[in-house]
Amino acid sequence: MPVVVNQLENAIVRMMDDLERALQKPPSERRWGMVIDLTKCVACDACTVSCKAENKTPPGVNYTVVIKEEVGTYPNVRSTFLPRPCMHCENPPCVDVCPVSATWKSEEGIVVIDYDVCIGCRYCVTACPYGARTFDFGEFYTEGTPMIAPYETAPTFEYGEERTRTEGESPIGNVRKCNFCVQRLHEGLLPACINDCIGRARYFGDLNDPDSLVSELLRERYSFKLKEDLGTDPKVFYLS
Amino acid sequence: MSTNEKENGKSIINSEISRRDFIKTSAVVGGSMVVAANVNTAFNKIREFGELSNGVEASGSYPLNDAENIIYSVCLQCHTGCTIKGKIMDGVLVKIDGNPYSPMNMLPHLSYDTPPTKAAKYDAKLCPKGQAGVNSEYDPYRITKVLKRAGKRGENKWEVISFDQAINEIVNGGTFADGTKTPGLKDIRAVTDPDLMAALKTDAMAVAGGDMTLDEFKSKHADHLDLLIDPDHPDLGPKNNQFVVQNGRIEHGRKEFSKRWLKDAFGSINWYEHTTICEQSHHIATIQVTNQYKGDGGWGGGKEQLKPDYANAEMVIFFGTGAFEANFGPTPMSELVTWSLTYRNMKMAVVDPRLSKTAAKAKWWLPVKPGADAALALAMGRWIIENERYDAKYLVNANKAAAAADNETSWTNSTWLVKIENGKPTRLLRPAEAGLGDVDGFVVSQNGSLVVVDPNDADNAVEGDLFAEGTVNGISYKTSFQLYKEETMMHSMEEWSDICGIPLRKIEEVSNEFTSHGKRVGVDFYRGPVQHTNGYYSGTAIVMLNVLVGASGWTGGVGAGGGHWHEDGSKAGQPFPIGKAMHPGKVGSFGVTLTREKWHYEKSTLFKRDGYPAKRPWFPYTGNVYQEIIPSAASGYPYPIQALYLHKGTPAFAAPGGNPVLEAIADPNVIPLVFADDIVIGETTMYCDYLFPDTAIWERWGTPHITPAIQSKTSKFRQPIVDPLVEKVTVFGQEQPISMEAVFLAIAEKMGLPGYGKNGFGDGMDFNNRQDYFLRMAANLAFGDKEDGSDAVPEADDEELRVFREARRHLPKAIFDEERWKSVIGDESLWRRVVFLLNRGGRYEDFSKAYKNEKLGHPYSGLFNVFVDNVAAGFHSLTGEHFHGLPNYQPAQDASGKDLPEGGNDYPFQLFTFKHIYGGQSRTVSNYWAQLGVASENYVLMNKVDSDKLGLKEGDLVKLVSPSNPDGVWKLPNNEVKPVVGKVKPIQGIRPGTVAASWSFGHWAYGASDVTIDGQVVKGDPRRATGVCPNAVMYEDPVLKNASLSDPIGGSASYFDTPVNVVRA
Repeated sequence: MPVVVNQLENAIVRMMDDLERALQKPPSERRWGMVIDLTKCVACDACTVSCKAENKTPPGVNYTVVIKEEVGTYPNVRSTFLPRPCMHCENPPCVDVCPVSATWKSEEGIVVIDYDVCIGCRYCVTACPYGARTFDFGEFYTEGTPMIAPYETAPTFEYGEERTRTEGESPIGNVRKCNFCVQRLHEGLLPACINDCIGRARYFGDLNDPDSLVSELLRERYSFKLKEDLGTDPKVFYLS
Repeated sequence: MSTNEKENGKSIINSEISRRDFIKTSAVVGGSMVVAANVNTAFNKIREFGELSNGVEASGSYPLNDAENIIYSVCLQCHTGCTIKGKIMDGVLVKIDGNPYSPMNMLPHLSYDTPPTKAAKYDAKLCPKGQAGVNSEYDPYRITKVLKRAGKRGENKWEVISFDQAINEIVNGGTFADGTKTPGLKDIRAVTDPDLMAALKTDAMAVAGGDMTLDEFKSKHADHLDLLIDPDHPDLGPKNNQFVVQNGRIEHGRKEFSKRWLKDAFGSINWYEHTTICEQSHHIATIQVTNQYKGDGGWGGGKEQLKPDYANAEMVIFFGTGAFEANFGPTPMSELVTWSLTYRNMKMAVVDPRLSKTAAKAKWWLPVKPGADAALALAMGRWIIENERYDAKYLVNANKAAAAADNETSWTNSTWLVKIENGKPTRLLRPAEAGLGDVDGFVVSQNGSLVVVDPNDADNAVEGDLFAEGTVNGISYKTSFQLYKEETMMHSMEEWSDICGIPLRKIEEVSNEFTSHGKRVGVDFYRGPVQHTNGYYSGTAIVMLNVLVGASGWTGGVGAGGGHWHEDGSKAGQPFPIGKAMHPGKVGSFGVTLTREKWHYEKSTLFKRDGYPAKRPWFPYTGNVYQEIIPSAASGYPYPIQALYLHKGTPAFAAPGGNPVLEAIADPNVIPLVFADDIVIGETTMYCDYLFPDTAIWERWGTPHITPAIQSKTSKFRQPIVDPLVEKVTVFGQEQPISMEAVFLAIAEKMGLPGYGKNGFGDGMDFNNRQDYFLRMAANLAFGDKEDGSDAVPEADDEELRVFREARRHLPKAIFDEERWKSVIGDESLWRRVVFLLNRGGRYEDFSKAYKNEKLGHPYSGLFNVFVDNVAAGFHSLTGEHFHGLPNYQPAQDASGKDLPEGGNDYPFQLFTFKHIYGGQSRTVSNYWAQLGVASENYVLMNKVDSDKLGLKEGDLVKLVSPSNPDGVWKLPNNEVKPVVGKVKPIQGIRPGTVAASWSFGHWAYGASDVTIDGQVVKGDPRRATGVCPNAVMYEDPVLKNASLSDPIGGSASYFDTPVNVVRA
């Protein structure tokens, strides 16, 4: 039997090459999508924390989580792990309910929020069937301790804007959600959760590119989407 | 987290957020405030959001992946010590990812010659705990200045004092507010002359060995008897030994730095790390089974760990560990395992009373009874032998040449003959005993006739009979393998199944699968099976499964990993031989260690005095018996101590049965001087007299070694990413951050210890600060292992030098001083090579070198001992009986070798613990993103059938009680009583009859409670006090009274042998 491991390709390098190719195209010709291999998710929450660190999200604001459930009865019992970012639906229910048009589906397929327009009404939080949106109440993890830690007041680059969470200013008081780390995508970098995944369960790329790793995985493996019956047409796919 | 709208009382629109109360307290706690103030002004360039939604490409304003903002270093949130990429913004470490150059973080990793500017774009994987290092670095409860006790020990009242005052008082003695006085190290360091130390050592050992009488010794050393702990027992060593350094999570680099200081310069033998409260018996079992025969009855060179080659194995079994949570460790191991599970159909079995995350992916979950892992392993062994599924061709090879003839790199002593005396296997039969002449070596049977075997003979192949027994010169013998078989036959399969609690059908299925893939299988184990009193024996029973199939050395089999280059300069030609030489005036040390480790009781003068049973156990085969340090000092056996230095560890909290440790450490009559370093006031360090702030992981240096899960050669190198938050002080005329290193250097300066300061490493080589040490280690690694220098890393070019400088532009001169660093290295070419290495955080062999076709690129080569002669030679120091040379199953025992009683109706559950991935040791409770953000608390886990029986529902508060702690409390002297109470969580994924709690919660210090500094109260964070730490109810040894149960061979502390009850709180 051959030494199979030597045939491994570096998934990060491959996906970044895919990304570079996609960025050559006009935005409207790309379709960003995420593929999550549930057989490889180890429920470590490296994605959860990578997202937190990248976006400096405060308590209660989680762009991606891993839902862990126990199924069965001893000794026939299993655990299931389901990472859940924003689904970036093709038909996003959250968009239509926004009274001020602060959220929309971008040309390249990302459901974005304009913090400067968002009034924090949270209709979208309720409308999202996946629980992917959370509200920034302005809390800090290190409140009530001897100091607010500098990692909480360091700037973020969400949507390409440098912002420091400061009371009375966005994104405090806004609804927040996963945006596929658009600030990184446009630099040719992958969403942070993809890089840090220790089980190599998360993949990202251009669904319109048949040569991308995500397209290849969707061709070769069985995949499904969450709550497909709702017609939201998510752009996050699960392999099982 | 409370994100409740009502609580915040704000409008649903957006802006009426109540004003945050940004508390500012003294500069002692929360040193990072200064850094925080700088962050907000650092970035001005704002890009319009519209640009993005309109599809206009952004460029150049995302700074985190620029090489100039990145320093590679090494994590230590857990022992895996992953290579990391630290991203810095205006001097603040804002994000940590994996290092793409390293096989720990990328599969396969980038080529070593990739320019740093390119590698900067590739962020590699890292576990959540490693990423949350940002939270540990900027923990608001970090201490930045030296604290001196202002109340009783443990009262948590402190005053800030200067570093120089603390050093002065530690060296010369101090006085405290409550009237207590501490002794000075100058009075403890009795022997200061290297020649005298050597002479006393030689003669003391002669007395212990019976080659010199005590009277002869006393008359010869009449002038110096007062320098000894006990002139009647000179083998206890000089009074210097009454100063003890007890380390928790210390690693290579700091380890050698610290040993050089204590053992070689101060002259005390008592240097310890913490491995027995981690997984020491795993190491000792593996070392003993892989020990090589050195001739003349000597053994050595064994490997601490063997791990399956997960990327190529077809079946792996995990005993008491897994790939995705703890072990060694999740970042490097997870992807290897998930890839094999998904794309190679690798089969996996997980032996664990809890349905771990790894078990969740396994074909077989085997919820073993805690402590009965050996029974399961022996049952598998029996099945494999009875069904003839072992690799007989491999096992008959009795020496190196025979192995080589079969294209094997390892061989075993399966065929070697063992003497049977009084019906018991005792020792390996030697040629002279068998009438085969006076030659070194052992004996095998070849079709019944006996021949000599030299294990290391590479030319003359010797095979032997796998099964043989007989008598020669009146000596009965059997082969090692025959004896192993008999151990597996001690019980029927049904009985073994009953003992380990795994259904017979499953044992058979797993045994069958394990022996259906040739050599592409492996067994991994860690803490679970070995933190028991039977840990060593269980470990050998588990390693034996790898031996039966001859998996060692093969791709898809097991190996000891790719290894590392030698940072200590021990290879010929390396520029700085810092490990062995470079210590002018070295004093050295000798004597029985406080824990009686690495010492046969029978070879001590205390044996002559006391005989059997010894007052406390001696540990001839292991070291670092952490749980015995403070209890031994408390009982004054083998001698009392005067001073204790605690480094990065918390023995009261982390070791099992901590109450007696707390009682001892709180009492100045037991240990007159206790000082420590820590980054936060911890559960144990709150009991010290002086507390120094230490640098955090991301502020310091180190050369930790690579996990054996990595098959390519790797040397990790830790270096400061950010300016330490601690105060800077002047030692040997140089400004440096307070740290473990600075404390040692300052004491060396004050006491004039040899080998420090001007010419401390030899002529022209000063030892004034930590960089003087670690940069030389970096130079050794950059030079490589080959004498002619052909193994050196490339020189950094000018562009790499620019990146190197730019990435360190935020570091002050005390932390980074290019000219000074360069002068330490001395040579321009070597300096550029060091920069090349530092720019990559270490050095990494190419991925292609991991495998040579069907063999591992770095296979384990050598002998496996089925019969461990080295251990069979030793005695249990309380019973006086020989240890057993073969894997076997024993129930839990106390120090006197007596079986512990069953829990019965009073204590019907067996307690165990585990580590979730968010928790490191005791230090991750500051991780607001991970341990607190994701997990927030832990639970008392029990099977729903058990909780139903007790009428308990999820969330009910319960107390754990045990035979040695029937009240279920932590007794914190001079402080409070903290009940061992947690919330019940009924689950299905746990063996009925057991209860479990994850480690890392249940704090009473480390920012969980209030402390008073200079009269000002610093409030604790109640989020850091959640959950339960069950260690207090773990068995205190009924014989020793003041310490936990221990494995007498491997030394592991028992965490999982305690029966408990769960009562409503």
